Amino acid sequence: MERRKFLGLGLVAAALVPASLSAVDFRKEKPDTFTAHNVADAIKALYGDIKTEKGDLSVKAPKIASNGGAIPVTIKSGLDLKSIALFQDANPESAVAVFTIGEGMIVNYMTKIKMKGPGEITIIAEAKDGKFYKTSQKLDVALGGCEG
Amino acid sequence: MANMKIKAKVKGDTLKCKIQAKHIMLPYDAAKKKGVDANFMTLITAKVGDRVIFEASTSQFISKNPIFKFEAKAEGLKKGDKLEMSWTDLSGKTVTEDKKIKGLK
Repeated sequence: MERRKFLGLGLVAAALVPASLSAVDFRKEKPDTFTAHNVADAIKALYGDIKTEKGDLSVKAPKIASNGGAIPVTIKSGLDLKSIALFQDANPESAVAVFTIGEGMIVNYMTKIKMKGPGEITIIAEAKDGKFYKTSQKLDVALGGCEG
Repeated sequence: MANMKIKAKVKGDTLKCKIQAKHIMLPYDAAKKKGVDANFMTLITAKVGDRVIFEASTSQFISKNPIFKFEAKAEGLKKGDKLEMSWTDLSGKTVTEDKKIKGLK
């Protein structure tokens, strides 16, 4: 439990730092996010205890992916966001990517991810007004692709 | 130009970009089996001048030779502006490449 408390302190400190447009390496700032083994822990490590709601945020991925080594995932949102995090629950660790959103960016991302087997993709978006939005999609993977 | 394919084009008031980086993106599991060190990109950024238009902290589960598509507002871009992509991987290697943005007047 000591570790949890420490994490909480870190989050408070991070929240006090004003958001800037300079590079944010989430891997350095929130290393626990990338080593968390389930989605809930990863979200907690990244954003703390949050309540999520549904909003203008969508994720698109094939219902059945033929190749788990490259599953196209599209994230779209019309909200005024600060960051978006992409998680899945099929691999040993949950976090896939965290996008930082700044001035003049349009939230319309596409990337390809790896998944070992069937699972669920979860997107958490952090809005500038402090609200959190969540959306998810379940999908099947015909051929697991965690071997690179 | 060997490490990255970059496409950047302005259409209307939107800058559309598509990049593919050449990278093995080897996760820990696979690396263990092969007996080599895991290596994957950890930070990818795109800039036009000083303006950051794309930024992602990534993990081992982005596909091999990762593709990213993203958009930004084209406001304030001039002819001859370049899109500068750079990534850093786990071994500490940083690669930066740029490409002229198409479709600017």
